[in-house]
Amino acid sequence: MTSIERVNSLLNRQKLDRVPFFPFSLGFSAKNVGYPVGSVYSEPVRSFDAQLWTQQMYGHDQYPFFGSAVYGTSEFGGEVEFPIGDSIQSPRSVRYPVQSLKDIDKLRLLDPQAAGNLPKALEFSKMQESHGGLISLVVGGVFTTAGNICDIRNLCMWIAREPETVHRVVQLAADHILSAARLWVKIFGTQRLLVQIWEPTAANSIISPRTFEEFVLPYQQKLHQEILGLSVKHILCHICGEQNKNLPLWSQVPMGDPGIVSLGQQVSIADGIKYFGEKNIIAGNLDTSLIANAAANEVYEAAKKCILAGKDAPSGYILMTACETPSSTPPYNFYMLTKAINDFGFYD
Amino acid sequence: MNEREAIQGVLEKVVNLDIDGVTGQVSVALKAGADPRNVLNDGLSAGMRLVGDRFQSGEYFLTELLLAGEVMKAGLVPLEPLLVNTDIQGKGTVVLATVKGDIHDLGKNLVGMMLSAAGFEVIDLGSDVASQRIVEAVGKHQAKIVALSMLLTPMVISLRSAVEEITMAGLRDQVKIIIGGACTTPVLAKELGCDAHGEDAMAAVYLCEKFV
Repeated sequence: MTSIERVNSLLNRQKLDRVPFFPFSLGFSAKNVGYPVGSVYSEPVRSFDAQLWTQQMYGHDQYPFFGSAVYGTSEFGGEVEFPIGDSIQSPRSVRYPVQSLKDIDKLRLLDPQAAGNLPKALEFSKMQESHGGLISLVVGGVFTTAGNICDIRNLCMWIAREPETVHRVVQLAADHILSAARLWVKIFGTQRLLVQIWEPTAANSIISPRTFEEFVLPYQQKLHQEILGLSVKHILCHICGEQNKNLPLWSQVPMGDPGIVSLGQQVSIADGIKYFGEKNIIAGNLDTSLIANAAANEVYEAAKKCILAGKDAPSGYILMTACETPSSTPPYNFYMLTKAINDFGFYD
Repeated sequence: MNEREAIQGVLEKVVNLDIDGVTGQVSVALKAGADPRNVLNDGLSAGMRLVGDRFQSGEYFLTELLLAGEVMKAGLVPLEPLLVNTDIQGKGTVVLATVKGDIHDLGKNLVGMMLSAAGFEVIDLGSDVASQRIVEAVGKHQAKIVALSMLLTPMVISLRSAVEEITMAGLRDQVKIIIGGACTTPVLAKELGCDAHGEDAMAAVYLCEKFV
């Protein structure tokens, strides 16, 4: 099977030759082809080429995608800095659209065709369309987007002190994400569309399940319902980090038919299957720190463990890293993931 | 309300994250005759410690920890003028930094907040800090502990460099080095020649108390 055939079969609940492998490798791909790390987040053509060439080189199955964890900052008028040089891995917010409560009233929904990094994302999706793979829209979850609008420190403080403000910002984040999804559906249709939603900020290292239930769940649930209501078939939801206490709540959020639920290393694959596996594909949860720093044989063993834990999940499994593969990952360690897939990922 | 009850009330205001009530309760304690140092140590700081314990046990989350920091600040307002001329014996100086190349400072700030509340003098160098600055700060402030934070995996290089520079400057024997942050582990701490790894802000406090 080609990568595209393999992923399509998985999404259509058909038989596969082997477990697909999504390495979530943005900065790593840029470095792999000699581009600056920042280009993978800010230059659509270089980003697409770097990821596609790295995919071809290693034989993994994740089609190029375009996005970062600071989604929402520039889309609401703030400023993002892309990594310069190779020592910093990810884009960062340098000016939040909301810095104090008085800025809240100035917040407006911008036209998604012109908001922040979305014009570049559109350019990227046009390349995805012409190359024949999945077309992806990458956005933050409602709470992550809200945190990128207000700064997570403010958001956390306001949960206790200004809860109505937090509700307002989260709703605005949801409205924006839906407007972006509508635009992608209008331009690209739904046949090959995969909406990727990354939600690291709702992790339990930051908020309690009670806070999640009040400030995240209703908005995330409605947003997914509305996106799926546009005839989008699949949402890839990256439930990043420590989210164990949120799992019963996340399980109430529809992901598609099937959706893909991507787990951090803190959530076991067994728990992922328990909460989501009946209806959704489980993806995860290779420890990214280990991939970058451990010896090759340890990386191989960790990948083997993940594959064996997830391979027979009821709706399918993708070997995926727990978050973005660090750009400093030794190429031989990355190769170990491919080797593990080839040694243990094939179905009879 | 006697002095002891009033200080206990301060502690409860912190633990219950009562930002509107803490300043008033500190004033009540002072009016009841409490020594400002006792209000600080047995009220505000002890309350912060309990908040830290609750964070460590999973009962409290980052939101509560941040709010507790604000409660502490509010509680210090009536105390600070009274503490200026007192001879509070600090527990020692900790140089705190997020290493070069990493701009994440939320975790580091929490560690700083909890260490200050526990009675340490904290020299917070900020984020994206070059190894040389850390070395200079250790020498200048006669620090007993260096606490280094790192969120991004590639910054192991910077962490290693900081440890090496401290060693090359001949300061390694006078300081304990502890590390923390999302991508750090006890194994990494050992591998880099650090003294310990702290899982969270409260663990950092316990480690520092162990080392002084």
